[in-house]
Amino acid sequence: MKMTWSQGAHPSAGNRNGIRWIFNPYLLLAFRLLLAAIFIYAAVQKIGKPQAFAEAIRGFGVVEYGPPLYIMAIVLPWIEIFCSLSLVTGVFVRGSALILLGMNALFLAVIANRAAGFVRDGTPFMKVYFDCGCGFGPTYAWKKLLEDAAYLLMSLALLAAPRHRFTVSIRRRSS
Amino acid sequence: MKILRNAILQAIAIVAVSVAVGFAFNSFSRNKINPFESPANVPVAADSAQAGADGIRIVELAEARLVVESGVSVIDARRKDAYDEGHIPGAILFDYYDMGTYRDRVLPLLSNEGEIMVYCSEATCDDSELLAKELYLLGFTKLLVFKGGFAEWSGAGLPVERGEL
Repeated sequence: MKMTWSQGAHPSAGNRNGIRWIFNPYLLLAFRLLLAAIFIYAAVQKIGKPQAFAEAIRGFGVVEYGPPLYIMAIVLPWIEIFCSLSLVTGVFVRGSALILLGMNALFLAVIANRAAGFVRDGTPFMKVYFDCGCGFGPTYAWKKLLEDAAYLLMSLALLAAPRHRFTVSIRRRSS
Repeated sequence: MKILRNAILQAIAIVAVSVAVGFAFNSFSRNKINPFESPANVPVAADSAQAGADGIRIVELAEARLVVESGVSVIDARRKDAYDEGHIPGAILFDYYDMGTYRDRVLPLLSNEGEIMVYCSEATCDDSELLAKELYLLGFTKLLVFKGGFAEWSGAGLPVERGEL
Protein backbone atom coordinates (compact mmCIF):
# COMPACT_ATOMS: atom_id res chain seq x y z
CA MET A 1 0.00 0.00 0.00
CA LYS A 2 1.25 3.44 -0.84
CA MET A 3 -0.05 6.81 0.37
CA THR A 4 0.17 9.73 -2.01
CA TRP A 5 -0.95 13.35 -1.91
CA SER A 6 -3.36 13.90 -4.75
CA GLN A 7 -3.41 17.23 -6.58
CA GLY A 8 -5.50 16.18 -9.54
CA ALA A 9 -6.80 18.59 -12.17
CA HIS A 10 -10.14 20.03 -11.36
CA PRO A 11 -13.19 19.55 -13.55
CA SER A 12 -14.40 23.09 -13.00
CA ALA A 13 -12.13 24.16 -15.85
CA GLY A 14 -14.95 23.80 -18.32
CA ASN A 15 -17.48 25.47 -16.02
CA ARG A 16 -20.36 24.73 -18.38
CA ASN A 17 -22.72 23.90 -15.55
CA GLY A 18 -23.77 26.75 -13.26
CA ILE A 19 -23.27 24.74 -10.06
CA ARG A 20 -19.73 23.63 -10.87
CA TRP A 21 -18.23 26.56 -8.97
CA ILE A 22 -19.06 24.70 -5.77
CA PHE A 23 -16.46 22.09 -6.71
CA ASN A 24 -13.66 24.66 -6.73
CA PRO A 25 -10.79 22.86 -4.97
CA TYR A 26 -10.10 25.72 -2.58
CA LEU A 27 -13.78 26.07 -1.72
CA LEU A 28 -13.98 22.32 -1.05
CA LEU A 29 -10.90 22.59 1.17
CA ALA A 30 -12.55 25.47 3.04
CA PHE A 31 -15.70 23.34 3.52
CA ARG A 32 -13.58 20.51 4.90
CA LEU A 33 -11.73 22.71 7.37
CA LEU A 34 -14.89 24.54 8.46
CA LEU A 35 -16.86 21.34 9.01
CA ALA A 36 -13.90 19.78 10.83
CA ALA A 37 -13.57 22.77 13.18
CA ILE A 38 -17.31 22.84 13.93
CA PHE A 39 -17.67 19.12 14.56
CA ILE A 40 -14.48 18.82 16.63
CA TYR A 41 -15.71 21.66 18.85
CA ALA A 42 -19.16 20.05 19.12
CA ALA A 43 -17.66 16.66 19.96
CA VAL A 44 -15.32 17.98 22.65
CA GLN A 45 -18.33 19.49 24.48
CA LYS A 46 -19.98 16.04 24.64
CA ILE A 47 -17.15 13.54 25.06
CA GLY A 48 -16.91 12.29 28.62
CA LYS A 49 -20.47 13.41 29.46
CA PRO A 50 -22.53 10.54 28.02
CA GLN A 51 -25.29 10.85 30.64
CA ALA A 52 -25.93 14.49 29.88
CA PHE A 53 -25.74 13.91 26.12
CA ALA A 54 -28.15 10.97 26.41
CA GLU A 55 -30.63 13.29 28.14
CA ALA A 56 -30.18 15.88 25.38
CA ILE A 57 -30.88 13.25 22.70
CA ARG A 58 -33.90 11.98 24.66
CA GLY A 59 -35.22 15.56 24.80
CA PHE A 60 -36.02 15.29 21.09
CA GLY A 61 -38.59 12.63 21.91
CA VAL A 62 -37.34 10.21 19.26
CA VAL A 63 -35.34 7.71 21.35
CA GLU A 64 -36.31 6.62 24.86
CA TYR A 65 -34.06 5.27 27.63
CA GLY A 66 -32.36 2.04 26.63
CA PRO A 67 -29.22 0.69 24.94
CA PRO A 68 -29.76 2.53 21.60
CA LEU A 69 -29.88 5.91 23.39
CA TYR A 70 -26.79 5.21 25.49
CA ILE A 71 -24.84 3.75 22.57
CA MET A 72 -25.60 6.90 20.57
CA ALA A 73 -24.44 9.06 23.48
CA ILE A 74 -21.16 7.14 23.68
CA VAL A 75 -20.42 6.83 19.96
CA LEU A 76 -21.78 9.97 18.22
CA PRO A 77 -19.14 12.39 19.57
CA TRP A 78 -16.40 10.01 18.42
CA ILE A 79 -17.94 9.77 14.95
CA GLU A 80 -17.77 13.59 14.85
CA ILE A 81 -14.11 13.48 15.96
CA PHE A 82 -13.05 10.90 13.38
CA CYS A 83 -14.99 12.59 10.58
CA SER A 84 -13.26 15.86 11.47
CA LEU A 85 -9.82 14.23 11.53
CA SER A 86 -10.59 12.63 8.20
CA LEU A 87 -11.57 15.97 6.66
CA VAL A 88 -8.43 17.68 7.97
CA THR A 89 -6.00 14.96 6.96
CA GLY A 90 -7.71 14.19 3.66
CA VAL A 91 -8.07 10.47 4.38
CA PHE A 92 -11.52 9.01 3.58
CA VAL A 93 -13.01 12.43 2.76
CA ARG A 94 -16.02 11.00 0.92
CA GLY A 95 -16.79 8.57 3.72
CA SER A 96 -16.80 11.44 6.23
CA ALA A 97 -18.90 13.55 3.89
CA LEU A 98 -21.45 10.73 3.60
CA ILE A 99 -21.65 10.36 7.39
CA LEU A 100 -21.97 14.12 7.93
CA LEU A 101 -24.62 14.29 5.21
CA GLY A 102 -26.66 11.62 7.01
CA MET A 103 -26.10 13.14 10.45
CA ASN A 104 -27.07 16.64 9.33
CA ALA A 105 -30.18 15.36 7.56
CA LEU A 106 -31.13 13.62 10.80
CA PHE A 107 -30.38 16.73 12.91
CA LEU A 108 -32.49 18.87 10.56
CA ALA A 109 -35.42 16.45 10.86
CA VAL A 110 -35.36 16.17 14.66
CA ILE A 111 -34.76 19.89 15.25
CA ALA A 112 -37.60 20.78 12.85
CA ASN A 113 -39.83 18.26 14.62
CA ARG A 114 -39.03 19.71 18.03
CA ALA A 115 -39.49 23.27 16.81
CA ALA A 116 -42.86 22.24 15.34
CA GLY A 117 -43.84 21.01 18.81
CA PHE A 118 -43.12 24.47 20.29
CA VAL A 119 -45.07 26.12 17.46
CA ARG A 120 -48.07 23.83 18.11
CA ASP A 121 -47.89 24.93 21.78
CA GLY A 122 -48.26 28.56 20.66
CA THR A 123 -44.66 29.84 20.39
CA PRO A 124 -44.05 31.81 17.16
CA PHE A 125 -41.50 29.93 15.01
CA MET A 126 -38.98 32.79 15.01
CA LYS A 127 -39.03 32.83 18.82
CA VAL A 128 -38.51 29.09 19.35
CA TYR A 129 -35.34 28.97 21.47
CA PHE A 130 -33.84 25.82 22.96
CA ASP A 131 -30.68 23.83 23.55
CA CYS A 132 -30.48 21.14 20.90
CA GLY A 133 -27.70 19.37 22.83
CA CYS A 134 -25.39 19.86 19.86
CA GLY A 135 -22.64 21.31 22.03
CA PHE A 136 -23.14 25.01 21.25
CA GLY A 137 -25.66 25.91 23.95
CA PRO A 138 -29.21 27.26 23.49
CA THR A 139 -30.04 29.08 20.27
CA TYR A 140 -32.99 30.00 18.03
CA ALA A 141 -34.38 27.03 16.12
CA TRP A 142 -34.42 28.93 12.80
CA LYS A 143 -30.75 29.74 13.21
CA LYS A 144 -29.87 26.14 14.01
CA LEU A 145 -31.90 24.89 11.04
CA LEU A 146 -30.09 27.29 8.71
CA GLU A 147 -26.69 26.24 10.10
CA ASP A 148 -27.47 22.54 9.71
CA ALA A 149 -28.79 23.11 6.19
CA ALA A 150 -25.49 24.83 5.32
CA TYR A 151 -23.48 21.92 6.81
CA LEU A 152 -25.66 19.51 4.85
CA LEU A 153 -24.95 21.33 1.58
CA MET A 154 -21.21 21.43 2.31
CA SER A 155 -21.23 17.68 3.05
CA LEU A 156 -23.16 17.05 -0.15
CA ALA A 157 -20.63 19.08 -2.16
CA LEU A 158 -17.76 17.09 -0.61
CA LEU A 159 -19.50 13.82 -1.40
CA ALA A 160 -20.48 14.73 -4.95
CA ALA A 161 -17.26 16.48 -6.01
CA PRO A 162 -15.86 14.65 -9.03
CA ARG A 163 -12.35 14.99 -7.64
CA HIS A 164 -10.73 16.23 -4.43
CA ARG A 165 -7.37 17.93 -4.08
CA PHE A 166 -5.21 18.01 -0.96
CA THR A 167 -6.22 14.48 0.00
CA VAL A 168 -4.35 11.32 0.85
CA SER A 169 -5.26 8.42 -1.40
CA ILE A 170 -4.45 4.87 -0.41
CA ARG A 171 -3.56 2.64 -3.34
CA ARG A 172 -2.35 -0.93 -3.62
CA ARG A 173 1.14 -1.43 -4.98
CA SER A 174 0.91 -2.98 -8.40
CA SER A 175 3.98 -5.17 -7.89
CA MET B 1 -21.45 4.55 -8.64
CA LYS B 2 -17.92 3.55 -7.72
CA ILE B 3 -17.54 6.84 -5.84
CA LEU B 4 -20.63 6.09 -3.75
CA ARG B 5 -19.51 2.53 -3.06
CA ASN B 6 -16.13 3.79 -1.87
CA ALA B 7 -17.82 6.44 0.26
CA ILE B 8 -20.01 3.79 1.93
CA LEU B 9 -17.00 1.56 2.64
CA GLN B 10 -15.06 4.51 4.06
CA ALA B 11 -18.06 5.53 6.19
CA ILE B 12 -18.35 1.99 7.58
CA ALA B 13 -14.64 2.07 8.49
CA ILE B 14 -15.00 5.45 10.25
CA VAL B 15 -18.07 4.30 12.19
CA ALA B 16 -16.35 1.05 13.20
CA VAL B 17 -13.30 2.92 14.54
CA SER B 18 -15.58 5.41 16.33
CA VAL B 19 -17.55 2.60 18.00
CA ALA B 20 -14.36 0.89 19.17
CA VAL B 21 -12.72 4.07 20.47
CA GLY B 22 -16.00 5.35 21.97
CA PHE B 23 -16.58 2.21 24.00
CA ALA B 24 -12.91 2.00 25.04
CA PHE B 25 -12.96 5.64 26.18
CA ASN B 26 -16.25 5.13 28.01
CA SER B 27 -14.92 2.14 29.92
CA PHE B 28 -12.06 4.26 31.34
CA SER B 29 -14.05 7.49 31.76
CA ARG B 30 -14.96 8.89 35.18
CA ASN B 31 -18.48 9.46 33.87
CA LYS B 32 -18.82 6.07 32.20
CA ILE B 33 -22.24 4.59 31.61
CA ASN B 34 -23.26 1.01 30.98
CA PRO B 35 -25.52 1.15 27.93
CA PHE B 36 -26.84 -2.35 28.56
CA GLU B 37 -27.71 -1.86 32.23
CA SER B 38 -30.33 0.78 31.74
CA PRO B 39 -31.48 2.57 34.89
CA ALA B 40 -34.84 2.79 33.14
CA ASN B 41 -35.39 -0.88 33.99
CA VAL B 42 -35.35 -0.24 37.74
CA PRO B 43 -38.96 -0.29 38.97
CA VAL B 44 -40.43 2.75 40.70
CA ALA B 45 -43.36 2.38 43.11
CA ALA B 46 -45.76 5.14 44.09
CA ASP B 47 -47.24 3.07 46.93
CA SER B 48 -46.67 4.70 50.32
CA ALA B 49 -47.74 1.47 52.08
CA GLN B 50 -44.37 -0.01 51.17
CA ALA B 51 -42.35 2.32 53.41
CA GLY B 52 -38.96 0.83 54.27
CA ALA B 53 -39.16 -1.77 51.49
CA ASP B 54 -36.46 -2.23 48.86
CA GLY B 55 -36.84 -0.24 45.66
CA ILE B 56 -37.62 3.31 44.64
CA ARG B 57 -40.69 4.98 46.05
CA ILE B 58 -42.21 8.36 45.20
CA VAL B 59 -42.99 10.50 48.26
CA GLU B 60 -45.13 13.61 48.64
CA LEU B 61 -44.26 16.82 50.49
CA ALA B 62 -45.71 15.72 53.86
CA GLU B 63 -43.62 12.54 53.94
CA ALA B 64 -40.57 14.33 52.56
CA ARG B 65 -40.80 16.73 55.49
CA LEU B 66 -40.92 13.85 58.01
CA VAL B 67 -38.00 12.16 56.24
CA VAL B 68 -35.85 15.31 56.50
CA GLU B 69 -36.77 15.75 60.17
CA SER B 70 -35.86 12.11 60.90
CA GLY B 71 -32.29 12.67 59.70
CA VAL B 72 -32.41 10.39 56.63
CA SER B 73 -29.72 11.13 54.01
CA VAL B 74 -31.08 13.62 51.49
CA ILE B 75 -29.49 14.11 48.06
CA ASP B 76 -29.89 17.15 45.82
CA ALA B 77 -29.57 15.99 42.18
CA ARG B 78 -29.42 19.51 40.71
CA ARG B 79 -26.43 21.49 39.49
CA LYS B 80 -24.08 23.21 41.93
CA ASP B 81 -25.26 26.76 41.19
CA ALA B 82 -28.89 25.81 41.93
CA TYR B 83 -27.78 23.99 45.09
CA ASP B 84 -25.77 26.98 46.30
CA GLU B 85 -28.77 29.28 45.81
CA GLY B 86 -30.82 27.15 48.18
CA HIS B 87 -31.41 23.52 49.12
CA ILE B 88 -33.25 21.37 51.64
CA PRO B 89 -31.41 21.55 54.99
CA GLY B 90 -28.74 18.86 55.27
CA ALA B 91 -29.02 17.83 51.60
CA ILE B 92 -25.84 16.62 49.93
CA LEU B 93 -25.10 17.85 46.40
CA PHE B 94 -24.85 15.07 43.77
CA ASP B 95 -25.10 16.60 40.28
CA TYR B 96 -26.64 13.83 38.20
CA TYR B 97 -24.77 15.05 35.11
CA ASP B 98 -21.37 14.90 36.79
CA MET B 99 -21.45 11.39 38.19
CA GLY B 100 -17.67 11.04 37.96
CA THR B 101 -17.01 13.91 40.35
CA TYR B 102 -19.79 13.27 42.85
CA ARG B 103 -19.78 9.46 42.93
CA ASP B 104 -16.46 9.31 44.81
CA ARG B 105 -17.35 12.27 47.00
CA VAL B 106 -20.88 11.30 48.05
CA LEU B 107 -21.13 7.50 48.05
CA PRO B 108 -18.87 7.06 51.11
CA LEU B 109 -21.31 9.29 53.03
CA LEU B 110 -24.29 7.05 52.31
CA SER B 111 -25.41 3.85 54.01
CA ASN B 112 -26.66 0.79 52.14
CA GLU B 113 -28.93 -0.03 55.06
CA GLY B 114 -30.86 3.21 55.57
CA GLU B 115 -33.22 5.13 53.33
CA ILE B 116 -31.98 7.86 51.01
CA MET B 117 -34.23 10.62 49.65
CA VAL B 118 -33.42 12.27 46.33
CA TYR B 119 -34.94 15.41 44.86
CA CYS B 120 -34.33 17.79 41.96
CA SER B 121 -35.78 21.15 40.96
CA GLU B 122 -39.50 20.51 40.44
CA ALA B 123 -42.13 17.92 39.62
CA THR B 124 -41.36 18.02 35.89
CA CYS B 125 -37.67 17.16 36.26
CA ASP B 126 -36.57 13.52 35.95
CA ASP B 127 -33.09 13.85 37.43
CA SER B 128 -34.06 12.77 40.97
CA GLU B 129 -35.65 9.59 39.65
CA LEU B 130 -32.75 8.92 37.29
CA LEU B 131 -30.19 9.43 40.04
CA ALA B 132 -32.20 7.18 42.38
CA LYS B 133 -32.09 4.48 39.70
CA GLU B 134 -28.31 4.88 39.37
CA LEU B 135 -27.96 4.62 43.15
CA TYR B 136 -30.16 1.52 43.14
CA LEU B 137 -27.84 -0.11 40.61
CA LEU B 138 -24.90 0.82 42.86
CA GLY B 139 -26.42 -1.13 45.75
CA PHE B 140 -28.46 1.47 47.64
CA THR B 141 -31.84 -0.21 47.64
CA LYS B 142 -34.07 1.90 49.93
CA LEU B 143 -34.65 5.02 47.88
CA LEU B 144 -37.24 7.74 48.10
CA VAL B 145 -37.86 10.29 45.35
CA PHE B 146 -39.42 13.57 46.44
CA LYS B 147 -41.10 14.35 43.15
CA GLY B 148 -42.20 17.89 44.03
CA GLY B 149 -38.55 18.81 44.41
CA PHE B 150 -37.06 22.03 45.68
CA ALA B 151 -39.79 24.17 44.09
CA GLU B 152 -42.52 22.50 46.14
CA TRP B 153 -40.39 22.50 49.30
CA SER B 154 -39.49 26.20 49.16
CA GLY B 155 -42.96 27.10 47.87
CA ALA B 156 -44.44 25.59 51.03
CA GLY B 157 -42.32 27.95 53.12
CA LEU B 158 -40.18 25.16 54.59
CA PRO B 159 -36.64 25.93 55.78
CA VAL B 160 -33.97 26.35 53.14
CA GLU B 161 -30.20 26.30 53.50
CA ARG B 162 -27.94 28.36 51.26
CA GLY B 163 -24.33 27.97 50.14
CA GLU B 164 -22.15 24.90 50.27
CA LEU B 165 -22.74 22.27 52.92
